[in-house]
Amino acid sequence: MSDAVDPAPTATEAWVAPTWEQVVRDHSARVYRLAYRLSGNPQDAEDLTQETFVRVFRSLADFSPGTFEGWLHRITTNLFLDMVRRRQRIRFDALPEDTERLPGTAPSPEQVYADTHLDPQVQAALDALSPEFRVAVVLCDIEGLTYEEIAATLGIKLGTVRSRIHRGRVQLREALAHLAPRRPVNDETVAPEGSAG
Amino acid sequence: MNIPESHLAQEAVAALVDGELAGGPAARAARHLSGCTQCRMAVQAQREAKEALHTCSDVAVPGDLLSRLRAIPFTADVPGTGGGLGSLSAAPDQLTVSGPSGSWSVALDPPPAGADRAGHARWLRRGFVGALGVLGLGVTALALSLPTGSVDRDRPSPDSVAGATLEQRTRIVPPVVRATTGGTSGAAQPVGIPGGTP
Repeated sequence: MSDAVDPAPTATEAWVAPTWEQVVRDHSARVYRLAYRLSGNPQDAEDLTQETFVRVFRSLADFSPGTFEGWLHRITTNLFLDMVRRRQRIRFDALPEDTERLPGTAPSPEQVYADTHLDPQVQAALDALSPEFRVAVVLCDIEGLTYEEIAATLGIKLGTVRSRIHRGRVQLREALAHLAPRRPVNDETVAPEGSAG
Repeated sequence: MNIPESHLAQEAVAALVDGELAGGPAARAARHLSGCTQCRMAVQAQREAKEALHTCSDVAVPGDLLSRLRAIPFTADVPGTGGGLGSLSAAPDQLTVSGPSGSWSVALDPPPAGADRAGHARWLRRGFVGALGVLGLGVTALALSLPTGSVDRDRPSPDSVAGATLEQRTRIVPPVVRATTGGTSGAAQPVGIPGGTP
């Protein structure tokens, strides 16, 4: 039919790769958002995003079509977990020069909200989770991945995914309840019930 | 009593909220929930946590990050001419990376991304020189697209190349090492190594 436009069907590599410009345009927002939710601050999010795209560029030739999003998720989350482990080692060694910059990167709640439109309390609660739980919860509830996709992304079993998501959410909700004991929403929802009786 | 004694497993509570339970288990869970306040609260708690995260909108990527991402082909070192890349060819205005999965073209003249494009020009050019130098490629194409003469054309070392070039250098070094050690250990029969001339 449209053989004039489509590449030759005989070639297995009929898939036409996008330009680098397209790759950056189509995927940078997703990667940056994921990096931001995981790291909780813009500086780390930028570093993670940059490093993710450098990895992508270096292994472009090995890329097999159809898994680009999954590939990006995998690279970003692995880089994040590497970063966390590296810092835990640094903190464990307690080098006075290096510990200085660890807490220093935290932006103000107003800055977080302006950047992400995510409730700063929610981001703070997210940051309080252990990295493994955080990754599972973010991939599920923010990125909308299925359990199977999360298992493939992180290289863990389905049962582990379920348990990490469950425990992550339990901790998240406890942290939110601690941060905001009284929710303004409750006043409105209670009122109609009272009038009914 | 139709209600099972055991409560829902924690994993099942999460899976139920995410719609990840199969039909049979989901029906059993629903039956149990109808008579178990404790499990209903657990499900509700999971749902609230999920919704708290779900209400966020998109994040805007900082402009300078975007231009750095676009510049990666010029600044990042691509390791292994032998391993990862199938082939790489350069034209005056674009770079094409070919592999088993297809070919990627990278325009060497990215559209104006930010205000300070002119300021980027010098390091962009240097990065471009470095990338091509590492790959051992097209100096002629370089000469075409870059009228200003570059002194460090042969040096594959922009600042950003840390880990990957180390691999490459170690790959280059061994023949030299082998040659010198071969010269010292096999002294009985010198193989004719140049350099030790009296």
